[in-house]
Amino acid sequence: MSAVESGGESKSHGRGGKKHKKKRRLSIRIDMTPMVDVAFLLLTFFMLTTYFSKPQTMELNLPPDEKSQVEVAESNLMTLRVASDGVIFWNIGTEPAHRIEMKELRKFLEDKNKENPKLITLLKVDREGKYRMMIKLMDEIAIAKVTRFSLAPMNEYDKRQVQKARAS
Amino acid sequence: MPKIKKKRIGFRIDMTPMVDVAMLLLTFFMMTTQFRPADETQIDLPSSHAPFKMPETDIMVVTVNREGRVFMGVDAQKLRAQLFGEANKLRPAVEVDRKQLHDLLIQARISNPKLRTLVKGDKEAPFGPVEDILDILRQVKITRFNLVTELDKS
Repeated sequence: MSAVESGGESKSHGRGGKKHKKKRRLSIRIDMTPMVDVAFLLLTFFMLTTYFSKPQTMELNLPPDEKSQVEVAESNLMTLRVASDGVIFWNIGTEPAHRIEMKELRKFLEDKNKENPKLITLLKVDREGKYRMMIKLMDEIAIAKVTRFSLAPMNEYDKRQVQKARAS
Repeated sequence: MPKIKKKRIGFRIDMTPMVDVAMLLLTFFMMTTQFRPADETQIDLPSSHAPFKMPETDIMVVTVNREGRVFMGVDAQKLRAQLFGEANKLRPAVEVDRKQLHDLLIQARISNPKLRTLVKGDKEAPFGPVEDILDILRQVKITRFNLVTELDKS
């Protein structure tokens, strides 16, 4: 592949005084092929094993104490429920739940929070649901700049609400 | 007979620049590479737009895999040996049940109060185990933790 020629004229060692006017260039050629082969092998190896995208993280703060309960007016509480199949329902206070698509959620959250700056979002994900849904929803909530939200377990009442919303 | 010296029609391409570049790239990749830490299970991270980079040191990771099994691991080998026993020193994470997780989280925090908690769930994992973990974290008063996600390109 490539070769290195040791440059320069070689000094005639011990041959001095001979008639050789033409100084023979003593060039050393080293066959670099194996080395380059190995180099490429390593290069490929490192290129394939390296990864650049370091995982991101989402920071979450939980309230320190479960006993610290905050009284919230019913009209200020929006509940987002995620059913086990990933369908999202929302309602405010004790109103009946409505279905909403993931795509509309961002705009919806922004609008609702603009309407009522005191709004608190409660996120309830079914235990049978996917973890991905929780991440997605929390992401949407973060993008919509909703800072007042909390996670809560989904109980039987929530499941009934979801059932009702589906039926209607 | 005079030998007819056939001129060989060989051409040489000077490969030196190519090899130089190759070596340069090789050095670059060797320097920048970070090996993916081996996981006990395969995890497909969910994607989000979260902006924080994942911390590298002083972490303990609670992993939930696709089937909803829960693993716990810490990055320091010394602490690992202390928590999970000498035999598990080299394993990145050890499967734990809810009760063990509770105790291990407390022990780990006592040994190294600087530990940050990461929850790493597969995107297909059921939410149930994750909810349990969040509950346990609340019980052991770890109120600040990070959920590991992948950056959403869109």
